[in-house]
Amino acid sequence: MAAGTIASDVQVRDPGFPTASENYLTNSKGVLSWMFTLDHKRIGVMYLIGVVSAFAVAGILALMIRLHLFRPDGALFTGPEANNWYNQVFTLHGAIMVFLFIIPSVPAALGNFLVPIMLGAKDVAFPRLNLCSFYLWVVGAIFFICALMASGLDTGWTFYTPYSTTTDTSVILATSGAFILGFSSIFTGLNFIVTINTMRPPGMTWFRMPLFLWATYSTSIIQVLATPVLGITLLLLIAERAFHIGIFDPEYNGDPVTFQHFFWFYSHPAVYIMILPAFGIISDLISVHSHKRIFGYRFIAYSSIAIALLGFLVWGHHMFTAGMGSLTTIIFSALTFTVSVPSAIKVFNWLATMYKGSISLTTPMCYAMSFIFLFTIGGLTGLHLGTLATDQHLHDTYFVVAHFHYVMVGGTLVAFLGGVFHWWPKMFGKMYSELGGQISAVIVFLGFNLTFLPQFVLGSRGMPRRYATYDPEFAWLHQMSTYGSLLLGIGLLVALIVLLQSLFRGKPAPANPWGGATLEWHCTSPPPFYNFERPPAVGDPYDFSDLRWDEANERYVSIVPDRKLVPDDHPHSVPAHAQGHH
Amino acid sequence: MIMFSHLSSAMSVIGDFTGSFRWFPESASSFAADIDWLFGFISLICILFFIPIAYALFYFAYKYHKPKGEPAESDAAHNTPLELAWSILPSFFLVGMFVFGAKAYLDHRTVPDGANDIGVQAFKWGWTFDYGGGTFNRELHLLVNEPTKLSMRSSDVIHSLFVPAFRAKKDVVPGRYNYMWFKPTLASEKVSQDELDLAIRTTEEGGGDWDYDRWQFTKDGYRFFDLYCTEYCGKDHSMMQTVVVVHETAEDLNAWIEKYSRRDPNMKLEDYGKTLYEQRGCKGCHSIDGSKRVGPSFVESFGNQRPLASGESSVADENYLRESILNPKAKVVAGYQPVMPSYKGQLSDDDINSIVEYLKSISQYAPKGDAKPAATSAAAPDAAN
Repeated sequence: MAAGTIASDVQVRDPGFPTASENYLTNSKGVLSWMFTLDHKRIGVMYLIGVVSAFAVAGILALMIRLHLFRPDGALFTGPEANNWYNQVFTLHGAIMVFLFIIPSVPAALGNFLVPIMLGAKDVAFPRLNLCSFYLWVVGAIFFICALMASGLDTGWTFYTPYSTTTDTSVILATSGAFILGFSSIFTGLNFIVTINTMRPPGMTWFRMPLFLWATYSTSIIQVLATPVLGITLLLLIAERAFHIGIFDPEYNGDPVTFQHFFWFYSHPAVYIMILPAFGIISDLISVHSHKRIFGYRFIAYSSIAIALLGFLVWGHHMFTAGMGSLTTIIFSALTFTVSVPSAIKVFNWLATMYKGSISLTTPMCYAMSFIFLFTIGGLTGLHLGTLATDQHLHDTYFVVAHFHYVMVGGTLVAFLGGVFHWWPKMFGKMYSELGGQISAVIVFLGFNLTFLPQFVLGSRGMPRRYATYDPEFAWLHQMSTYGSLLLGIGLLVALIVLLQSLFRGKPAPANPWGGATLEWHCTSPPPFYNFERPPAVGDPYDFSDLRWDEANERYVSIVPDRKLVPDDHPHSVPAHAQGHH
Repeated sequence: MIMFSHLSSAMSVIGDFTGSFRWFPESASSFAADIDWLFGFISLICILFFIPIAYALFYFAYKYHKPKGEPAESDAAHNTPLELAWSILPSFFLVGMFVFGAKAYLDHRTVPDGANDIGVQAFKWGWTFDYGGGTFNRELHLLVNEPTKLSMRSSDVIHSLFVPAFRAKKDVVPGRYNYMWFKPTLASEKVSQDELDLAIRTTEEGGGDWDYDRWQFTKDGYRFFDLYCTEYCGKDHSMMQTVVVVHETAEDLNAWIEKYSRRDPNMKLEDYGKTLYEQRGCKGCHSIDGSKRVGPSFVESFGNQRPLASGESSVADENYLRESILNPKAKVVAGYQPVMPSYKGQLSDDDINSIVEYLKSISQYAPKGDAKPAATSAAAPDAAN
């Protein structure tokens, strides 16, 4: 039998399409029905719109940075305040990207939509808290906009003291915004921990959860444990600024390095808030689009937890040149190396999953492969920075900028895009142009490398970061990087156009367009507002053996195994034990 | 590190790939060889991992690319020995990197006995190097092959001193001393007198400041290494650069120090004051064209009535200016933040006097004609020591 045709005598299972009154997007109408919704899917969609808007703003700021650096003495901003403008732009680029985009991107936007559906549940454990966390995100965003409107912010996203306690820009507004966003993050994390702990359906043991849920669970642990430290630190910073309490400011007998310890105690684990959900997405994407069981499920699941815990012990590597004692510095270097092992394990497992698979080079798969390539570079260049001697040269240069952009953009952003393309048919019930999506993946990949590969060389040649102007010998590398950023911008624009176009012109999506085995593919696309009519049968999330491609309808269906009814319709007239006597 | 040398053949593999491409600025300190070697060693290991990973990624995508509906060729779920192998084996490389890195780091942190000590004061946005005996300069001058320790403090926010050619960097944190050391191994060349004269003439005709980027040598004719601030410190962070000159002989270095140690007795106070204004960091915040920067402009300031932030007002006379240099936060002009660091201990009496005279020379409110004759204050430099 050729692949793609389903024999007529095979019984298949497919939920079909939702009616307008079932579809969560259309079952109630009006702005208020969205603003006061408790439906996790609508909250997820609102988050998606929010974080993508924040990304657009911060992305435009990034292009401004790159355009300014096109020339050694600065091309975009001119006049006596040019450097001030540049400093404000790079600060807001970093702060908005980190606090408003990357941290909430995967957990809050995709996580909100997917966690309950993957659990076969109707909603998260605390739907009202969920809506509250979205509005806290909005309030936090408004604070950032106010800071921008008032007198800007020029501290860098790290708010290092004593610069942040002495500058006359809106530090208090911005830190209040970050403080509120922290609560949004804590609420989301708390919600997911309780949901995953208490609402798994019968049969879904910990080791039968999709890996996206493992990643979300690990992320949530970090959010709940680490974010309060950021909150306290930012409150102390505000108090230092307003009342000179003398914790961080040397003028009042404080120690500025204390701030760095407090800040990175949150912000290093926050790096894993940013990357762990991406690992979860990639594990699911690679497996589904290779149509093969994920390789080494337990190693991947345990490595997520290992990263979440080890991530709390390595914050000192942000301060290798700050003047910590030699012993402390060496211990932090050793701990830093341990955290690289679990990440490497995942890369090997993903490749082993592709080995002897049946790979479909769909748009999500293109992004997933792009992720593996870029994240590997990002991870490996971390070794140069974790090694103490080389870090003495590379610290606070463009090498660091390139390294963390390979992880945050090449990693998290690319995984986020892959996830959005993967679950887009489920979220909005429309198929996008596959060719358009693949083109966007290729342009993003090329543009990204052109932007950030030259920055490694800039860094090893000694170009410091956060410079508004630079020595002429660095010019051609900066120019390459600027051209790359424009190409990257075009790639992202193509991705946006492909997705928006699908909303208007796209074909209706089947329930299971990719052949996934996790529960979200068992309900219609888009899901009904109640998700599942009755609790779905929980199977192995990575068992693809009973999924068949239905060429005629361009969908995957699950075949229902031939069932033999026991007993037969007609019972024997003679009891079994008596039959032998005839 | 002799133990590394047998691996240098492995490094040539990278050399084959990169050809003459330069990854680093020139190597000018005893740290550079170790760090460049270690960077190459780590990069080699990274490439040894990356190439198979990238190859497998694209080869599998090509080899196992199948039309939709084809089942996978294998259903292997795990292989514990294989997974343990790829979890544990890379750790040996990591241990190697850690040990080499930590050992070289300890070298960086252990100052050899008898190292020459130079004080560093970092401020927004410039550097002052203290050569002892009242000699301060904004350029860092060193002696080749002599270990030098920098004792660094900051007047305001966190800065970081970075010399790429030395592969050395350390944050300068207010409220504490941080130190670093290095041994320069490459002396700066001196350009020909003709070239230097041309540059000096052009600069004087243009009327601007010395353009290090354009000439690529100092106004004494030395080639230099760049010194950057690498911790973000505000508006002109990217301008907080200076140069490092490594002298061939101690005599040469001492002659240079002597030249800048004090005012030439024949030089007029106000001219020396202008030099100090340009070299000691006044210029970053105080204009001489009347424009408002971080601090009030110097032009027309002497003898002028100043409204203070406290609501009082004060005439900018000699004593006011001296106080504002030594204790800047005492009387802050209205409309400005109290951000200027104190110059106590960094300027001699003669230096302060020179700056005051310079301010007088650019103010119409200064009483004309009764400035102290240069001859009477010629003895001051000696007294200042």
